[in-house]
Amino acid sequence: MHISTLDNFFDPSSVAVIGASNSTFNLGATICNTLKSSEKLKDRIYAVNKKAEDVNGCPGFASILDIPADIDLAIIIVAAKAVPGIVREIAEKGTRNIIIESAGFSEEGEDGARMQSDINETVRKHGIRVMGPNCLGVLNAQNRFCCFYGAQEHTFDLVYQRPGTVSYVIQSGGVGVLILESFATDIVSVNKMVSIGNKTDVDEADLIEYFKTDSTEVIGMFLENIQHGRRLIEAARNCGKPILIYKSGRTSEGARAAMSHTAGMANNDRVFDAACRQSGIIRLRSIAELHSMPKMFTSMPLLKGKNIVVITNSGAFGGIVADLLHEAGLSMARLKPETMDKLSKTGKLFNVSNPVDLGPAISPQAFHDIYEILLQADEVDGLLPIPSVWKDFIINTIEDLNQMCRTYNKPSATYTPNALWKTLNIRSTHKLPIFESPEEAVRALEISHFHYSSARKKDKSASYETISR
Amino acid sequence: MKQILDSAIKKGQKALSEYESKKIIQSAGIEITREELAHSPEEAVSLAENFGYPVVLKGCSDILTHKTEYGMVKLNIQNEEETLKAYQEISSSGMKLDGVLVQEMIKGNREFVVGLSRDPQFGPCVMFGIGGIYTEIMKDVTFRIAPLTEEDAEEMLEEIRMKELLDEFRGSPAVDRRALIKALVAIGDLGASCDQIAEIDINPMIICGNRPVVVDALVILDQKS
Repeated sequence: MHISTLDNFFDPSSVAVIGASNSTFNLGATICNTLKSSEKLKDRIYAVNKKAEDVNGCPGFASILDIPADIDLAIIIVAAKAVPGIVREIAEKGTRNIIIESAGFSEEGEDGARMQSDINETVRKHGIRVMGPNCLGVLNAQNRFCCFYGAQEHTFDLVYQRPGTVSYVIQSGGVGVLILESFATDIVSVNKMVSIGNKTDVDEADLIEYFKTDSTEVIGMFLENIQHGRRLIEAARNCGKPILIYKSGRTSEGARAAMSHTAGMANNDRVFDAACRQSGIIRLRSIAELHSMPKMFTSMPLLKGKNIVVITNSGAFGGIVADLLHEAGLSMARLKPETMDKLSKTGKLFNVSNPVDLGPAISPQAFHDIYEILLQADEVDGLLPIPSVWKDFIINTIEDLNQMCRTYNKPSATYTPNALWKTLNIRSTHKLPIFESPEEAVRALEISHFHYSSARKKDKSASYETISR
Repeated sequence: MKQILDSAIKKGQKALSEYESKKIIQSAGIEITREELAHSPEEAVSLAENFGYPVVLKGCSDILTHKTEYGMVKLNIQNEEETLKAYQEISSSGMKLDGVLVQEMIKGNREFVVGLSRDPQFGPCVMFGIGGIYTEIMKDVTFRIAPLTEEDAEEMLEEIRMKELLDEFRGSPAVDRRALIKALVAIGDLGASCDQIAEIDINPMIICGNRPVVVDALVILDQKS
């Protein structure tokens, strides 16, 4: 039997919204509206409701079977108890991709779980792929396709104006909103965002495989649980692209009676930590890292060693990041005499060892020379510049540095010790990868190096999926 | 190895005795204490003399998972007289035993723990960390999903907080890391290849000179397989 691909979840040519009606507060109707942003779909959005009435200009039918056209994707948003029957109709129609946004399944106890397995049986028989239940489905910034329910008319305008290369899997709409809004003052933006809910079929591993092959550069995930750990590990180690995961629920999920001391200490969080290290998944420490870290990968080469040089005009920040680098397992590069020699010829520096202290009387050319000398030095793997933006030309020097990082294939993580509003303004106006705190900048270097080292490690390892539990 | 597991499962055992557990671990290429089951006082004495004093005597049975609490472990036995006394005490406890385990007494002040557990989502996992009686209080342990590469095992040694214990320590040489790494990989392979084993506890693994030696171990069986 042919099993459908995931393509129709992201770029369907026709969609039926089952449960869209004109009653007040109808969520299906909001989906019809949001779908209309898509040029491609415009007059191929159909509403299915008992009265067969048109909804927001989308032609209405009493059943998906009555629609006189092929349907690539069916979206279901009706009471849970009606869903298994509707899924059978969809199968009969020949549609092979379904998003079930309705709640009331395995998350609500045994009856719900039974309905969910009823659905699974139908879809397996027909090679159908299902997202959900209990989810929002898909947002694709590239083609303005979005089936999130409850969105207002202009909710996604900003996202559509600037489609990006970071794709997300989220188990919560709230986290999605946080990410989308945060990108308004950042240099990266969303490619695709998927809410997978109860994951009765499509799960995070399927989506890693999908994002491996599309225009995604970085994958971000917010997960509340993991069902198929070994599949996730396998998908992650075969992916190659950076995968950033924030997982909630750090307490013991697999709390089954353990007889040995080992099993007693093996809580799910520690095991997940091990899985991340082994598969190269970057485990995030805060939800904010989901939107603050991707730019390190989209705008900078990877950090290939641990030796960092700090450039600052404030001794205080030099000390602060030296501590942070040490805690992150990175080191302050020891500059060679010849490098220091070159540095001292660039102008009136306060200090030519690491941290390099710029002093106040420094020109744009001196900035350029200092950055270039450091990027050329063998003993330096990456830069952590902390220039206070006290004159506009400082912004140009950061732009200049970005260019040079590409030339010399070494990264920099810049932090400007200015008020946050000013930093955000500079970042979004000039499209520069600036971090919002010293901690963020150091963390960016740390995960860049982690990704680099795990990519090198991956090919040596054994297969995980073939081994039973 | 297969024989021990099959027969134990057939008999409905939930776990293997210490003697059986260590046979499994030994067959995976990991060094264990020299030991043998004695079924009479004379046999115990002859085994003790063969290993050389001091020795340890332990009551051995698959249902006896907390031997120390039942007074079934007699440490540091120095001569024939003490051997006979210990044998007498253990065998008169009224518990049904496979025999009395006579083993060489390993001296070393560094104790580690190695274990195998099964996570509902991630499957077999190997644990390594600081062993001994404070293991669960210190929780200085780290995990990897099986099977492990040697590189995975090497990283585990670097991840525990008290990793300096693996270096030269109070006149003892640095631990044979190759042997430890091989042991961790072997435990992972056991978990990955053998569904009948649900959990493994090796505690302590004592460093004798520079060699890690399994002193006590417990294998929990999965009766469903």
